[in-house]
Amino acid sequence: MTHWLMFSVVFPILAAALSFRDDSDLVARLKRRDPDAMSELYNRYGRMMYSLILRIVRNDAVAEDLVQETFLRVWNRVHGFDQDRGALGPWVLTVARNRAIDYLRSVQGRDLESPLEAERMENPSLFLNLETDILNIDRMRRLKTAFEKLTPNQRTVIELAYYEGLSQTEMSEHLKQPLGTVKTWVRTALKLLREELEEQQVVA
Amino acid sequence: MTHQEMQELYEFYALGLLEEGERAEIDEHLRTGCAACQSGVRRAKVTNAAILSFAPDVAPPKRLRKRVLAGFGVERVAWGWIAGWATLTAGLLLGTLWFATDANRVRSDLAAAREQAVRASSEAARVQTVLDFLNAPETRQVTFGRGEQQQPPRGSVFVNPKSGVLLIASNLPALGEGKTFEMWLIPKGGAPRPAGLFKSDPGGKATHIAPGAIDPSTSAVAISVEPEAGSSAPTTTPIMVTSIASAP
Ligand SMILES: [Zn+2]
Repeated sequence: MTHWLMFSVVFPILAAALSFRDDSDLVARLKRRDPDAMSELYNRYGRMMYSLILRIVRNDAVAEDLVQETFLRVWNRVHGFDQDRGALGPWVLTVARNRAIDYLRSVQGRDLESPLEAERMENPSLFLNLETDILNIDRMRRLKTAFEKLTPNQRTVIELAYYEGLSQTEMSEHLKQPLGTVKTWVRTALKLLREELEEQQVVA
Repeated sequence: MTHQEMQELYEFYALGLLEEGERAEIDEHLRTGCAACQSGVRRAKVTNAAILSFAPDVAPPKRLRKRVLAGFGVERVAWGWIAGWATLTAGLLLGTLWFATDANRVRSDLAAAREQAVRASSEAARVQTVLDFLNAPETRQVTFGRGEQQQPPRGSVFVNPKSGVLLIASNLPALGEGKTFEMWLIPKGGAPRPAGLFKSDPGGKATHIAPGAIDPSTSAVAISVEPEAGSSAPTTTPIMVTSIASAP
């Protein structure tokens, strides 16, 4: 219990959303167009979506608009979601991120090539058979620790990718660093993070 | 790209951040049915979700829930009530303020104006308390009094296991001199427990909150008319009893 409470303080979002939920019933209700299911969806993921979107756009009012857009998109596309095999949490996070990155790109006047690709990647049919159960408390804590131990450069490139939507080429321009250097930072950072999940799977 | 190089790019591939050439190459490779890479991309989506969830946790403003859900017709009942109640409250506030101004004109009584201002602000605090209560995700609504009796009290009981019970009632009977309404929480198979005294406005409407965590055995809420000081057990037949046992 203490363990759980501690975790829920450190990762309130994850605790609620990514690993411990069986969302198949909720997805089935969403697909049946049960409006109460939207209320449940908000209970489970509203705060997570808002936190993520706010981190990306850094503006409360815009974040609220984009949460609304995210819900609309989830409602409109959930029919393509497989309730038995789909991972709702990762999908809604991806949809939320993409709405926020689209917004950033539009206000920054960045090109629209990559968002189309991001949109293709948020197709609900691509969120099948994800092993979300690897995200248990210990693994999440270790992943978070690994994330915090990244060097400043590694962390910067990860944040630019996840929260700003920059490709490695864009990062290279943005940071005024050679593309090869950026790629090394990205590769090393992802390897460190990935290992936290992979190594533990072997242990498990 | 070598197989190894591709494996290093799955996360960015899943984020839609690869350059056109790299993306096309991975797409093509995935189409060959390489199980290791398909599994790697699935794993990358999980890693990505975890990293995205490291965004600093910020509670959204309470209004956002209403706003989002209103678009799907979910919050109609609650909204209708809030709108009605807000209108009523605004009306009361306006009435109060107008009355204060009028009293000032007659009596030039600054103290009266100050008193009204205090009332107005406590009314606002009350509105906020009620809205907070309604917005809490755990709050459940139970309606009562839909045409069972000739002139039954009507309304809703909002139940929040952690915060208490909120009663919104209309059509309440007029209280006699020296009488009050008393709310009761009734445990399954137990005696009613007092849950606060309240009065209605001249139109027979009332809002009452019994704050605090609710005993999980509580199965019903009741209202009875009691002497003004309140009672420790109902002394009259309740004018309203409604079950609040969890609906499936
Ligand atoms: Zn492969």
